[in-house]
Amino acid sequence: MRPGRSYRRVEGCPRLFEVLRADRRELWTEAVGEPPPVYGERWTEVLDRRVRQFEPGRSKLAAAVVRGWTGDLPMPGEKWLYLGAASGTTASHVADLVGPDGRVYAVERSVRPFARLLALAERWPNLRPILADARDPTAYASLVPPVDGVYADIAQPDQLEIVRRNTELLVAGEGSRLLVALKTASMGRQRTAAGHRDEAEATLGEVATLAPSVPLEPFHKGHFMVGGRWGRSARLPVRESARVTKPSGRRRARRAP
Amino acid sequence: MRPTLVVGSGPLLFLIGSTDAQPPASFLLDPDLQHAAARFEAMEPPDVPVGLLAAVESGPRDSPLLASPPRLASALAERLHRPVGAPTSEELRRGRRSIPPLEPAGERRFFLALGHLRLERALRAPEEVLITLAREEERVERSVGREARAAESFVRVPDSPLDHHLVAWGRARDALDELAETLRRTLETEAKLQVPNLAAVVGARTAARLVAAAGGVSALARMPSARIQLLGSRRRPSPERGPRFGLMYRADRLAEVPIGRRGAYARSLAALAAIAVRADASTHHDISAALVARRDRRVEFLRRRRR
Repeated sequence: MRPGRSYRRVEGCPRLFEVLRADRRELWTEAVGEPPPVYGERWTEVLDRRVRQFEPGRSKLAAAVVRGWTGDLPMPGEKWLYLGAASGTTASHVADLVGPDGRVYAVERSVRPFARLLALAERWPNLRPILADARDPTAYASLVPPVDGVYADIAQPDQLEIVRRNTELLVAGEGSRLLVALKTASMGRQRTAAGHRDEAEATLGEVATLAPSVPLEPFHKGHFMVGGRWGRSARLPVRESARVTKPSGRRRARRAP
Repeated sequence: MRPTLVVGSGPLLFLIGSTDAQPPASFLLDPDLQHAAARFEAMEPPDVPVGLLAAVESGPRDSPLLASPPRLASALAERLHRPVGAPTSEELRRGRRSIPPLEPAGERRFFLALGHLRLERALRAPEEVLITLAREEERVERSVGREARAAESFVRVPDSPLDHHLVAWGRARDALDELAETLRRTLETEAKLQVPNLAAVVGARTAARLVAAAGGVSALARMPSARIQLLGSRRRPSPERGPRFGLMYRADRLAEVPIGRRGAYARSLAALAAIAVRADASTHHDISAALVARRDRRVEFLRRRRR
């Protein structure tokens, strides 16, 4: 352990570590794969575990945790469906969180990012890449076993519909987890960002029990983490330790192009 | 009666009977996982295992037969000479729940093999080849320019180790120039084949770069002309001093237009490019002559007109 830092496990999430610094909260995930770094992230060893820094500026899931997300996170041994994996930045961390006994089925449609995702899967043993369009889950439904959770990061106007279709078809059943990194800028200009979030909560609220949404600013402008558990009467987890960390002024959301 | 279900899950095809009494029977596509992935992807009628056909034939004829993925359904229909439908979400969920999980190491190898197969097939498509070529050409062109600028400012010192370096470097630069030239010719040929109208209006190389920036011909065809005009621009949009061109700056004949009128030319050229690429994407008619005539009229008009 490096001096001057005290790593500790995030409560309720055995493979996620945190370091509280004066101005920010650092997150680290226990790596499943081997170095070199996937996207230039820092690696270190803590108590004989190899961990990788999980940066909120790069990953919406990390930003959600830093901003006080109280809903579910991927847990060891679970199977997750990851929609919109791109080149695998966050997907690699989700794979870290589910650990060597879990699985992440990562769906990506674009060819070039998928090439990088595939290269990542060669060294991340629990990552299963699928080159397919998430709009049509029947194309890969037979390949993916019933999953414990769906993580979606698809910047499309119909992202909620895509998530709903995938979840209906592919989750194991009531109580399965749902995490949606909502990009409101992709959903049209008829509503404000908060309006889009309300709409997403209403739409997903019809089929799931939602945890309180969190804004991902200043790390990701106009983004929200929305999610909960599948089923109207599902029970949400009780996590007391979700602290809201004041976002540091050093990292600012990049301007949307 | 419940339908009989055939679910292709990786290298195994499962036959799930109409009653819960019988456990699903499994049939291997191919013992080699690479081949199994290829068969799963293609799923031609001959790829369906004979054992599966026999098992389906021996089952109840009156129960409807459903199969997933869709390709498997059509292959089965052809082999069995009977209709095979797509399962409803409910049926598919039932099928997926009743099949056992694959052994992890085998599953992993299968997914990687399938991923490589799909990636290679996707990159082999002519449109993706054009996009890759355009990106490579742009990168090589940039390094040619960088090396040439560096060579200009390099001070030669005769009879020193630096002199040898200069000779070797010169050879490397020549090779790079040759590579850039070959790439450019290949790219132009490809662009003229795939987007002939657009290539005629803005030039083959710019056409290829526009397609690459948009991510495909159909994506470019869906864009409004204002967006095509600014594709690849770096200046931040603003009402006072926004961008006037992006990749269009390198379009044919733009250099002939007086500097102050180039924005106007880019605007009308983008409008013509939008029409051209829509023809390339959908009707495939050759409308290039009319578009080029309109473009040239516009150039003449802008050259004559005083500011």
